[in-house]
Amino acid sequence: MTKLFKNLGTNLGTIQVFKRLLPILTFFMLSVQVFAHGDLSMRIAEKTVAISENPDNAELYYERGLLYQQHTEYSNALEDYHKSQVLGNTNKALHYRIAEVHYVTEDFKKALKSIGSYLELDSIDVKGKKLEAQIWYNLGAYKESLKAYHYVMETMVDIRPEDILEFADIILAENKNNYNDALEAIEFGLDQLGPNTLSLQLKKLDYLEDSDQREKALEHYNYFIVEYKRKEFWYYRKAEYLAKMDRPQESNISLKLATATIGQLDDRFKNMSSIIKLKEQIKSLESLNNQRL
Amino acid sequence: MIRNNILVLMMLFTLHSFSQTSIVDIPNVSADQGANNFGLLQNSPSVVIERGPYLQSGTPTSVIVRWRTDTATESVVNYGTLLSSLSLNETSTDLTTEHEVALSGLTPNTKYYFNIGNKTEVLSESVTGDMYVITAPAAGTKQFVRAWILGDPGTANNNQREVRDAYYDYVAAAPTNQGKTDMMLFLGDNAYNTGKDSEYQNAFFDVYDDMFKKSVAWSCLGNHDGDSADSATQSGPYYDIFTFPTAGEAGGTPSGTEAYYSFDYANIHFIILDSHQSSRDIGGAMYNWAQTDIQNTTQDWIVTLFHHPAYSKGSHDSDFDHRPIEMRENLMPMLEANGVDLVLNGHSHSYERSYFLNGHQGFAHTFNPDEISKGGHTVGATGNGDGKEDGDGAYQKTSVATEGAVYITTGSAGQISGGDLNHQAMFLSLNELGSCILEIEDDGMGGQNLTVKFLRENDEIDDYFTINKSGINLKADAKGTEQKSVVLFYDSDKGLINLNLDAKERLKKVKFYNNVGNLVKKSKKESINVRKLPKGTYVIEITTNKKTYNEAVMIE
Repeated sequence: MTKLFKNLGTNLGTIQVFKRLLPILTFFMLSVQVFAHGDLSMRIAEKTVAISENPDNAELYYERGLLYQQHTEYSNALEDYHKSQVLGNTNKALHYRIAEVHYVTEDFKKALKSIGSYLELDSIDVKGKKLEAQIWYNLGAYKESLKAYHYVMETMVDIRPEDILEFADIILAENKNNYNDALEAIEFGLDQLGPNTLSLQLKKLDYLEDSDQREKALEHYNYFIVEYKRKEFWYYRKAEYLAKMDRPQESNISLKLATATIGQLDDRFKNMSSIIKLKEQIKSLESLNNQRL
Repeated sequence: MIRNNILVLMMLFTLHSFSQTSIVDIPNVSADQGANNFGLLQNSPSVVIERGPYLQSGTPTSVIVRWRTDTATESVVNYGTLLSSLSLNETSTDLTTEHEVALSGLTPNTKYYFNIGNKTEVLSESVTGDMYVITAPAAGTKQFVRAWILGDPGTANNNQREVRDAYYDYVAAAPTNQGKTDMMLFLGDNAYNTGKDSEYQNAFFDVYDDMFKKSVAWSCLGNHDGDSADSATQSGPYYDIFTFPTAGEAGGTPSGTEAYYSFDYANIHFIILDSHQSSRDIGGAMYNWAQTDIQNTTQDWIVTLFHHPAYSKGSHDSDFDHRPIEMRENLMPMLEANGVDLVLNGHSHSYERSYFLNGHQGFAHTFNPDEISKGGHTVGATGNGDGKEDGDGAYQKTSVATEGAVYITTGSAGQISGGDLNHQAMFLSLNELGSCILEIEDDGMGGQNLTVKFLRENDEIDDYFTINKSGINLKADAKGTEQKSVVLFYDSDKGLINLNLDAKERLKKVKFYNNVGNLVKKSKKESINVRKLPKGTYVIEITTNKKTYNEAVMIE
């Protein structure tokens, strides 16, 4: 009997030791996979160890959820976020992250609900309003999307070109003919970010073409031609547009300018594959134009 | 006993694993530490410099000097080309702790000493002349250039300091251009664990303080920087700390954002991309910008940097993570088609250096170093060699053979994290601490060599290679030699266009179109005076009774 208790005691002691070593063992097991998946996996493994030591810590679940989200393991992320909620995390950031995961997994209705909870806690947060606008957009509720994005435009301190482009897209989604407002948004962006911000100038060109403002579009091609040091690609694009408008003679002049500009390049540029391809495109378009003359 | 030993071994393994990656917590030291720098005086009793000075957005004629003080005060930079006479100054009377002063109207390629302070006192200066900026050379200048490349450095531990010190030793004893570091290129993850301001202080400013006072620092965004910074709102420490050109101020195409931008230095064009938070899609804002930017440069060398590696089997797998795959599949074909020479990445904490590549966008196992063809995997006769001039030979680019780039994943400036390190596109993969040194210099035969060295923390150079570019001086004929015409001749001396029509042809009209295709002149003569036309490229449309000719001419 004494021996039995002694053995039992030893076994219980072993269990205690094992329990203490469990987090280390867990980490060891997980660290084997680390090399395959990088330091994000390492951080997830570390967080898993921390959770095994503090299984009721809501913050740890939130932090691991964030890591899962970064690692694009969205169902794991959601699971951790919900666990964090159950454990009492009422932080507004949690609502934002849940909304974000629903958004990237295209469950827009749930995303809307979560971002609503977030905005109830902080109705003036620009990031939250931006996500709300994006969710509305994907739900096809363009008026609501536009309203939310208006707030973003009016409030955001450091606007990026991408924001302006997104705003302009929403304007057109709400009314596919409203190029005036879309172009106005682009001009606002150019005013804020600098008059030569490329992606905005490119979008302006797209809108001028799409709204059939032909002469203005041609003027805008000229803007690129004048502004840029290397002009060959712009001449070609202008020629393409002129050809599309059934103006083959003018198109050929632009192609001739493209060819002349290529001729002025240093040899190493002339022999780059992008220029070789451009030369082929010029030849092909010229041939098409000549058939139409 | 055996079980205990196994447990001890397992714990040691785990501890080793931690030691390779863990961040040493160092107290947030700031101004006091700065005062220990040799020759630097920072002894103001009233206002203390907490950070800097550090140099940003250097161009041939301007630079931005930034620093932080513990209390709000004015911003003054005194500067001049003589250490004994800092006779120029730039002042902002706004009271701030975050000082940002732009010096403009500078002369290219010129050394300016400077000190910083407020309206009443100098707060930081170097009596030994170790605080200066050398302005960038004018774009296109061919001269020796040295860049120090640091990937994933921000551990704030001794690994990082040893890597730093190895470079300081290297540059102090360099056989050419001793002591000269034209720029620092950071490949992201500059401050672990989440790129917070305090982490930047410990792992960035306190570590490279000496170099920041005399070399402009550039960076791309890393994922750890992105933990606390947000490209979508351009907010957070990363965006607050750095000032990058968004409007083409340093020679590139205006991007409108600090997330991705470009700049020129001498005859090199640098393109900095955001592989972490910006869209990597073809046709996305960053893609469109990068395409226009690279298709607008006339520089001899093109170097691009972004954090997530196009090729890696280190602590990150470029066949597994979506960001490297998207960068490789979406951005790289376009950049390669337009002549990129060198691609610098971090993220994996190791050193992996490729062969001379072109057109390999697949997974690692699809790479075939023997496939040498247009659009193949390696380029040229030496493309699948070691790239060493004293080995298999330097990688070659000429004015005819324009393809080929070396990809380097170099994220071990602060820690190493192992991995399989067996990517087939890599000539060499090392699980070693170190940083890279880029040096460009004339090859003595009218071309240039771009050499990169991997410098270990123990001062050893474990790898190097050279890309030789010949034909750099082969400039195009200003008149456009490809545009020789049989129907007209431009006599630039007399300012005349003379037509040379067939005897059977009768001239009907001649039209001149300018560089944007507008009709600017008409004539019916066979000898036309063009002296009054502004310089530029014109298309001349000649209509005869037989046909219409379109010829391009460069009017000088």
